[in-house]
Amino acid sequence: MRYVLSKIAHGLLLVLGVTLISFILMVWFGPDQTYTLVGKNANPQQIAEVRHELGYDQPFAKRYADYVAQLFTLNLGASNSSGEPVSRILKRTVPVTLALMLPGFILGNVLGIALGLTAAQHRGRWTDHLINGFSVTGMSLSFLVIIIVLQVLLSTPYGLNLFPVRGWQVNDPGSYLKYVTVPTLSLILVTLGYNTRFYRAVFVEESGKDHIRTARACGASAAAILWKHVLKNSLVPVMTRIMFSIPLIVISGSLLIESYFGIPGIGKVTFDAITSGDQPVLKAVVGLTAVAFVLIQILTDLLYRLVDPRIS
Amino acid sequence: MVSDSRIWRRLKNDRAGLAGLLIVSVFFLLAAGVWTGLLGQNWSDASGGRWEPPGKEFWFGTNLLGQDIFQRSIYSVRTAFEVGMVVSIFSTVLGAALGALAGWYSDTWIDHAILWLKGVLDSIPFYLFVAAVAYALQGQDWAMHVAMIATFWTTTGRLVRAEVMKIKSREFVLSARAIGLPDPLILFRHVLPNTLHILLIQTTIAFVAAIKTEVILSFLGLGVHDGVSWGLMLAESTQEVLAGHFSNFLAASLMLFVLLMGFNLFSDALQDASDPKQAAI
Amino acid sequence: MTCWGKLNPVNALIKSLLLLCVSIASMVMLPGCDSQRKNDAAESSASVYHHSMDGAPSSLDPAQASSIYANFLAVNLYDTLYRYKYLARPYELEPNLADGLPEVSADGLIYTIHIKPGVHFIDDPAFPGDKGRAVRAEDFVYSIKRQFDPATRAQGAWLWQGRIVGLDEWKESGSDYEQEVPGLKALDDRTLQIQLVSPFPQLTHTLTQGFSAIVPREAVDHYGQEFAIHPVGSGPYRLQTFNSASAVLVRNIRFRQEPFSLQTEGFDPASQGHLGLEQLEGQAAPFMDRVEIEFVAEDAARWNSFIAGELDFIKVPVSQFDQVLVNRDPPALNAALAENYHVIANLESGFVHTDFNMDDPRIGYHPDPELNIRNRALRCAIIEAFDWQKRNEIFYYGIGYVFDGIIPPAAPEFDSQQTRVPPARDLEHARNLLTEHGWNAENLPVLEYGFTFSVTERQMFEQLRSFLGEIGYPQEKIKPLTFPTYGEYARAYLNREVMLMTIGWTMDYPDAENTVQLFYGPNASPGSNTANYNNSRFNQLYRESSGMQPSAERTAIYREMNQIVIDDCATISGVSRRLILLWNRDLAVLPDRSFVGGFFFRFVAPRSHPGGLQATE
Repeated sequence: MRYVLSKIAHGLLLVLGVTLISFILMVWFGPDQTYTLVGKNANPQQIAEVRHELGYDQPFAKRYADYVAQLFTLNLGASNSSGEPVSRILKRTVPVTLALMLPGFILGNVLGIALGLTAAQHRGRWTDHLINGFSVTGMSLSFLVIIIVLQVLLSTPYGLNLFPVRGWQVNDPGSYLKYVTVPTLSLILVTLGYNTRFYRAVFVEESGKDHIRTARACGASAAAILWKHVLKNSLVPVMTRIMFSIPLIVISGSLLIESYFGIPGIGKVTFDAITSGDQPVLKAVVGLTAVAFVLIQILTDLLYRLVDPRIS
Repeated sequence: MVSDSRIWRRLKNDRAGLAGLLIVSVFFLLAAGVWTGLLGQNWSDASGGRWEPPGKEFWFGTNLLGQDIFQRSIYSVRTAFEVGMVVSIFSTVLGAALGALAGWYSDTWIDHAILWLKGVLDSIPFYLFVAAVAYALQGQDWAMHVAMIATFWTTTGRLVRAEVMKIKSREFVLSARAIGLPDPLILFRHVLPNTLHILLIQTTIAFVAAIKTEVILSFLGLGVHDGVSWGLMLAESTQEVLAGHFSNFLAASLMLFVLLMGFNLFSDALQDASDPKQAAI
Repeated sequence: MTCWGKLNPVNALIKSLLLLCVSIASMVMLPGCDSQRKNDAAESSASVYHHSMDGAPSSLDPAQASSIYANFLAVNLYDTLYRYKYLARPYELEPNLADGLPEVSADGLIYTIHIKPGVHFIDDPAFPGDKGRAVRAEDFVYSIKRQFDPATRAQGAWLWQGRIVGLDEWKESGSDYEQEVPGLKALDDRTLQIQLVSPFPQLTHTLTQGFSAIVPREAVDHYGQEFAIHPVGSGPYRLQTFNSASAVLVRNIRFRQEPFSLQTEGFDPASQGHLGLEQLEGQAAPFMDRVEIEFVAEDAARWNSFIAGELDFIKVPVSQFDQVLVNRDPPALNAALAENYHVIANLESGFVHTDFNMDDPRIGYHPDPELNIRNRALRCAIIEAFDWQKRNEIFYYGIGYVFDGIIPPAAPEFDSQQTRVPPARDLEHARNLLTEHGWNAENLPVLEYGFTFSVTERQMFEQLRSFLGEIGYPQEKIKPLTFPTYGEYARAYLNREVMLMTIGWTMDYPDAENTVQLFYGPNASPGSNTANYNNSRFNQLYRESSGMQPSAERTAIYREMNQIVIDDCATISGVSRRLILLWNRDLAVLPDRSFVGGFFFRFVAPRSHPGGLQATE
């Protein structure tokens, strides 16, 4: 119990730290939205008014305190650009992002685990070298290049022209598959190389351990070895990787995919907010990301203890 | 832990790794050529016609403005190395320093503070951070580099911290402390050198990550200001590709791919060579 | 090593995880499923126009309709008093909600306007009983007052600033809506009276802008800040969905029924006879059930989408002109496209020019009269070095309309005879100018050219740099000043921090007053005079002509003003782009991005109509 409490205390400190640093970045260095909201032929008085409406003329400490209070009461305000309440924006866009990124994320990891296992199993032989070659190639491809090539190959008349170029008009599983396929393929291609390498290394390390050799020597079946010993004991690093790559892949990765494919998810909203300086949206996204990150850390720790009672 | 001589021996036998090193060296020479003014100086001259196909005068053809794509690709090698080297070296050094401090003074407030900082930086969405730093240092060429260094050091820091904690309890360290040598001396002259293999590997990984990030940042408008880079060339090429002009795209993506491949192969070889669990040679 | 056997467990793992993600996906999407299915049923028999825009509005509040995209939407969701005739070229005013042109008093200060009877706002929960009420003259008064209320964050106040009696004072005394504004009155439910401070001949034009659209107070009070995404208007369409990627408009069945008249709209059979517009005679607009607008800023993605058949209309990206056109002027499509699409070259209602910051002593005005002359010589040399032909060829496909000065071809006062078209390029003369005035590679100032980052802007910068290289300007002395977003760029140049800046100005109405005011001294930054130009003769002429109605006399004054700016070499100007617009042959429409702008949406019609157009809602 004390353990959980101390973890939560740590988490709170972390959230405060993230919000403080992000807030400093946003307020002192972020784009000034005044000039996009002011019309043609403005005069200094109008500019001052807009600044006042946006709350830019208040002292820093007060604005930060307001921010933290808003975060804890989940009173997230409304976007400065469109007036839509931030909570509604989140409700509308987060499911879209999840529906967009989850298949690619899951498949990328599943395939990575499968390929890693195969490579570890046939270690040193040509299968291993082939898979290694693929993963190094995958790691050397730029996300941008992959997106451009896939779009041209799959969505234009220069290529197969099977999928829509952009957009997200999803009403049923059929249209879902239409719109999610190309982004999912891009995501898999980008992450597979890294995933495969990582998992292969983990499984190689695990299968070299003494208890595996003992089990094999004692005649345990290959499948049993694979399941019970290698996979299960690798769960710690595997889980760590999956959990910690969620913020990276799902949030940062979605930013690029959604911008390029015109999908109205949280990544695109965040990117637009970053470039326009729409502070209410940014504050909400950053704050909630920090909280999510902390929760993931706590969860991972708890899962460790479940899986491996040796850790205390 | 494997000794340095063993690492070199293993490396020499790893053909893929050597090939990688060769590729990287060739690119480095190209970059040096641009730095010294021998190559790629006419990257901005708009002297050709629009979208000329590859030919005798323009080896890779020209882009919309009539600029020589070949010159631009070569100049981009310099940009890539600049970004890659600055970011990888500084982030590794920063990571090493902070990681060593955290590991040496583990479980004290120094350690907690550094870990907290690490956690905070890891939780801020990367593009938000880079964009903010880019705005903060607006107009400065180093905005992108600073942003990357500030986030890349954390991985190195974590690894160095773990390694230092392990080394701390070794005999030679304990004896050094018993003699009464000052802590910073022990840390920087005896402990840190034993983490060199980690640092070298991390440098190569950071180099690759820096180049890839620069490509995306330049595409989004947050990257390179003047000069040219593969990211900018790719951004240009998105429109050209649809009009059937592929030179820009192919030149940038292929050169990028080859350099990254080379680095990744070399980095892999390094990791395999310094892995104590590999069969002894 | 070989006793591991087949990877059956791994296959099972893969299969179970796939199942997991499909079920997650369907769970995530279920909430949205039901409401969409109903729309699908209605969709199949409805007529739909798929429009595309190369940008997106961030707000649908007419008070914030500063971008062309927002304006397009505002004039379709709301009513403005006036609009432009659909087909007449040059553009002519046409009453929209007003029932005729305004009655103007003899001194030009009092405008009386009547509005049409029986016009209603759409049904919306903001109104009692969810029923939209009739539009009253008072609503117009409220809508304009809103522009002067800081809480609205309005962007259109500048159109009427200092023009309407009592309005600025109303704002200063706290923007109290219960308080009357003497110059802005509703005489009764259907009569408006506007009283001006001084004659303002362009007033009627300002009443075609989205900024002047009529909004109901109930909706603004009810929705607060969310009004920006929840429009309640009386326009030909109402909003169904809106996000950063698209907007869907559906026909407003309560829109006033006005028979379409080819003659009133200024139909010209010679140039417009092939469009199939004759069938619309006598029918009531709007003619489409739905308008789906895709916001696609990236040229590549927009073009891909069009090629894939997802769009009925597109502004063709310049990079595609070679593929699409077999003839430039007049534009003719290649055979494959000509079969399915119409094409038109639409002269934009604005122009692009590169200003020098005259406030910067390195390149602009200098307190020392000798250095002042020296700077002028430098500017003139730079202007002469600019290769308009090459700029036009590379970035505007050679069909941009290059002209000299600040009165663009879209303005009625434009004189193609006076200006050298294109401005001639004399490198020798430019180099002489530099040497004569003591400029050399060592003392030439470092030029900082500001722009928002984008591939095209960068390429324009690099092209400018190479132009100046041809008169001996050292390449290292021409530096890019990039900004990640337009907002940041605007902040910089409105604060006079940018030395050279390229500005695109879209005219608000077809009258050169709108562009000459760009160089009027008191309009300097943060106003629209981004060059911070200040010439006393120019200013005097501007004041003299500001109350004049369009006339030959006024045109002469404007042309003199134009020449003053040209002689002072204050700006590298300019070019008006010709946009290549493609649209589906199955549609009878004449699209326009200039002054008619969003108003053409109500006239888009499916081409063949057996027995007329019917509402299917």
